[in-house]
Amino acid sequence: MSGEALLDLGDRAVASLSHGEAEVIISETRSELTRFAGNEIHQSVAERFRHVRVRLIDAGRTGVGEVRGHDDRAITLAFEAAEDSRRVTAESDVSPLPAPTPGDGDEPVAFAEATAEATPLGRAELVSIITDAAAAHQVNAYGALSTTTTTTAIVTSAGLRRSATATQASLVAVARGDDGGGYASRHSADIDALDVPGLASEVVDTCERNQGATTIGPGDYEVILSPYAVTDLLEHLAWGGFSALAVQEHRSFMRFGEKLMSDMITIRDDARTNEIFPFPFDDEGVSTRPVTMIDRGVCSAVVYDMPTALHDAIASTGHSLPQPNTWGPLPRHVAMDAGDTPWRDMAASVSRGLYITRFWYVRDVHPLRTVITGMTREGTFLIENGSITRPVKDLRFTQSIVEALASVVQVSRERRLELGEGESGVLSPWLHIGRFSFTS
Amino acid sequence: MRDLSERALDAASAAGASYADCRIINSRVQRLTVKNGVVASVEVFEDEGIGIRVIAGGAWGFAGVDDLSPASIEEAARHAVSIAKASSRVNRTPVRLAPAPALVGEFRTPVVRDPFEVSLDDKVNLLMRTDEAMSHLAQIRVRECSLEFGREIKHFASSDGARLDQTIIESGGGMDATATSDDEVQTRSFPNSFGRHQVRAGWEAIEAFDLPGNAGRIAEEAVALLTAAECPAGTMTVILDATQAALQVHESCGHPTELDRVLGHEAAYAGTSFLTPDLLGTFRYGSEQVTMTADSTRAPGLGTFGWDDEGVAAQRSVLVERGLFTGYLSSRETAAAIGQVSNGCMRADGWGRLPIIRMTNINLEPGTSSLEEMIATTEHGVYLETNRSWSIDDRRLNFQFGTQNGWEIVDGKRVRLVRNPIYSGQTPEFWGSCDAVAGPAEWQMFGVVNCGKGQPSQLMHVGHGAAPCRFRNVRVEPAR
Repeated sequence: MSGEALLDLGDRAVASLSHGEAEVIISETRSELTRFAGNEIHQSVAERFRHVRVRLIDAGRTGVGEVRGHDDRAITLAFEAAEDSRRVTAESDVSPLPAPTPGDGDEPVAFAEATAEATPLGRAELVSIITDAAAAHQVNAYGALSTTTTTTAIVTSAGLRRSATATQASLVAVARGDDGGGYASRHSADIDALDVPGLASEVVDTCERNQGATTIGPGDYEVILSPYAVTDLLEHLAWGGFSALAVQEHRSFMRFGEKLMSDMITIRDDARTNEIFPFPFDDEGVSTRPVTMIDRGVCSAVVYDMPTALHDAIASTGHSLPQPNTWGPLPRHVAMDAGDTPWRDMAASVSRGLYITRFWYVRDVHPLRTVITGMTREGTFLIENGSITRPVKDLRFTQSIVEALASVVQVSRERRLELGEGESGVLSPWLHIGRFSFTS
Repeated sequence: MRDLSERALDAASAAGASYADCRIINSRVQRLTVKNGVVASVEVFEDEGIGIRVIAGGAWGFAGVDDLSPASIEEAARHAVSIAKASSRVNRTPVRLAPAPALVGEFRTPVVRDPFEVSLDDKVNLLMRTDEAMSHLAQIRVRECSLEFGREIKHFASSDGARLDQTIIESGGGMDATATSDDEVQTRSFPNSFGRHQVRAGWEAIEAFDLPGNAGRIAEEAVALLTAAECPAGTMTVILDATQAALQVHESCGHPTELDRVLGHEAAYAGTSFLTPDLLGTFRYGSEQVTMTADSTRAPGLGTFGWDDEGVAAQRSVLVERGLFTGYLSSRETAAAIGQVSNGCMRADGWGRLPIIRMTNINLEPGTSSLEEMIATTEHGVYLETNRSWSIDDRRLNFQFGTQNGWEIVDGKRVRLVRNPIYSGQTPEFWGSCDAVAGPAEWQMFGVVNCGKGQPSQLMHVGHGAAPCRFRNVRVEPAR
C-alpha cells in the first residue's frame, strides 16, 4: 500500500477512539536478500509484512499493542491489546503526543524505484559479478545483497499525520583464500548506484594481500582505521553517550563544554543528508533535526525524544524510538566530518603501525569510560616506514574510544557509508590515530 | 492450519519445486517493564504468517508472508520457487539433503500454570514489589525490572509427508540495579544479566526466581561496587558462576560446533570455526572434566522442543566427551556434506526467516565438585559473577569476557569484593585448564535470548545448562 493508503487506515483507526489519545504507526515492509558462500548462492529469501503499533493514553495511563499479520483484523487486535495493557499501568507522568509542526514534510527520503523493483534474478546477476571476480583469482566469495522497501505512516489523535517510503540496498562481501580474507561493503538507497565491480575489486585485492599473515605481539600501536572500523567506534559512542537519557541517568561520558577529543573530530547526526539514508521523522513523528554532538573535540549536545525533552524543558530533536521505552533516544544518522588528507596518503607519516580494515564483535567493557573490546578481522596490515608492507594475524583490542579520538593525527577527506551492527547508516572517514591498545 | 499448509506445498510443487516445507506460526508475546517505580511499558505483540522453503533447480528459495489468504500463500510459494530458480543460475552444486523420516505428531511445553492465565495486575504487582525492594539506597540511580512471556503455535508440513504441531511457552523475568557516583557506574542484575532469565516453562518459573526476595541484595551489591577495589591483574585461578559459565559455553562451544559455520555458510557475517571436520574425534578441546552436550529434550531450556524447523526430532548428542571434540550441531544439508544425518538443530526466528543451524540446549554437564570446595582449594584467584561484556573472534578462539563483579580469593577464602573484572584466553587452552565443575545440585538451566546469526539477522532463544567451574592460569585484569 502507498503511504497515503496507510495514513487513511490510521485515520480510520484513530477516528474510532472513544476516549483518551492514540498514536497509530503502520508500516509495510518488503525485504529480499540473496546470500552467497563459496562462490554460490546458498540462501535467497523474501519477506513481506505489515506491522501495526498502537499506543493508547488515557487518565495518565499508557498501553501498547503491536500486531503483525492477522489481515484486516490487525488494527482491531492492536487496539484491544493496547487497552488491555493500558488498564493495568499505574498513573504516572505520561509523555504527551507531539503536535504537528508547520513545515514538516519537506525533508528528503531515501528512495529509489530500482531498489523497490529489484528481482531475485537481478540480485543473482549482481552477485555473480563478485563470485566471478573471486573465482578468476582462485578465491571464494561470501556475502549478501539485500533490498528493502518500507512504507511508514504515523497518525495521532493530536493531529499528527506523516508518512514516508524508503528503500535500502546493501551489499557486503568477504573473499577468502587459503590463508586469509578481505572485506568490503557498499550501501545505497539505489541498487543501481552500488559500485559492485568496485566492491569486487576491493574485496579480492584485500584478500590477496592478506595471505600468509604472521604474528605480531600485542601492545600500543599507531593505527590507520578504515571507515569500516571507524563505524564501530561511532556506533558505540552513539549507543552509550549521545542519548539525553544516558546523560540524565549519569551513564554518559559526555561533559558539556569540555574538550575530550582532538579538534579534528566533529561528530553529527543528520537525517537530512542524502549520504546517510535520509528519513524525515522519528518514531513519534517528530522531524529529525541535525545535531552536532562533538564539535571540534568539544562535547556539544545530545539527542532527545519527547520524554527526555520534557525532563529538560526543551524541544525534542526527533530521535525517538517507539514510545514508551526505557532505552531513550538514539542518533541513527551519525557522521564524522571529513578531514583534508587523501586516505591513500595517510600511511606516509607512519613509521611503524597497523592498518585495520575492520573490527569484529565489538562490545562495551566500561561504558562510562567508553572502553570497548573487539577483534580485527579480514585485513590487518603492518605499516613500516610509510608503507603498508605485510599482513599480520588478527589482534584483540581493548581501548577507550574517547582516548583514541583524542589522539587522532589525520582525518581523511574521503568518507564511506557503512552499516553498524545496529544496522543504522554511519558515514565515516579513515582515521590516523596516534595510539591504540591491542591486548592479545 | 493444515489446509493452508497443503495449499502451500501443492503450489510449490506445481511451480516446479522438487522439495518444499512450510511453517505456519501464530505467536503472542507479553512484555512488562517497571522502571524507577513507574510502569514504563506493558506491551502485547501478536504475530502470524507463513514461511515456505523450497528446492527448485537444485537451489534453495524461501518466501514468507503475513497474509494467510489462499491467494497470498500460493503467490508466496511461487515466489519461493522463482527465487530458487534465479539462484540456480549461479550455482554449480545442487542441494543434497541427508535422509530424515517424515514424522507426524504434537508437542506442547509442559507448564504448571500457563503464564497467559495469570492476570496482568498480578504481574505488575510482582514487578512493583521488586522495584520497591531496590529503592532504599540513594546511590541507585536506575531500577528496572521486567517480565516477558511468549506462546508460539507452529504447524510444520513438508512434501516428504511430515505433519507436526507444536505449542511452545516461555516465561522470563529479571532486574537490574544501576548505582552511580561522580566517576563510576555499576550495575548488578538478577537472575541473569541483560534484562532477564528465561525458560520454557510457566508462571511457576517466575515464582521460583523470587525477584522481590533478591532485589534488596542486588541493589546493595551495585552500591558496594562503586567503592570496591579494582580487580587484581595477573595470571591466576578463575572460578565462574553458573550464569557466566553458560555464556562461556555459548560462545566457545555452541557457536564453533555449528556445522554451517564450519562449512563457510556464515563466513561473511558470523564467521567460521576452528573446529574443522578433520579434528572430529581426535582434537582435545578441553580437560577430562569437560563434557558438553546438545540436548533439545532437556526441559526447561530455551532450546527444548519436539522437532526442529525441518522436522527432525529433538535429541541429545555429545559435542565434547571428557575433553575430546566429538560432534557438531547440524541440519539435513550440512550433515549430508560430512556423511552424517541431522541432529535436529535447524531453527528460524519466526515465520519470516529461513531456518538455519542454531543452538538448542548446549550444556556443560555437571561434575563432582562444588563452589565452596573450589573456593576452599584455591590459593589465589577470583570468583566471577554475572556477565557484563563478551567478545570472541570469528573462529571462536580468542575471547574476552567481563563480569559485573568478582570476589578475590586468598588461601581458600573470599577476602574482598572487586569491580570491573575481565578475563581472556584461547578456547582450547581455557577449557583445557578446567580442573573442576560443580555437581548436579548447583547445575542450572539458563538461557540466552539475544543470540544473533544469519543474514537477514535472526535472534534466537537458546538454552545452556551449567554449573560453577574452575580454571587455572587465566589472564585477569580490571577494565581500564
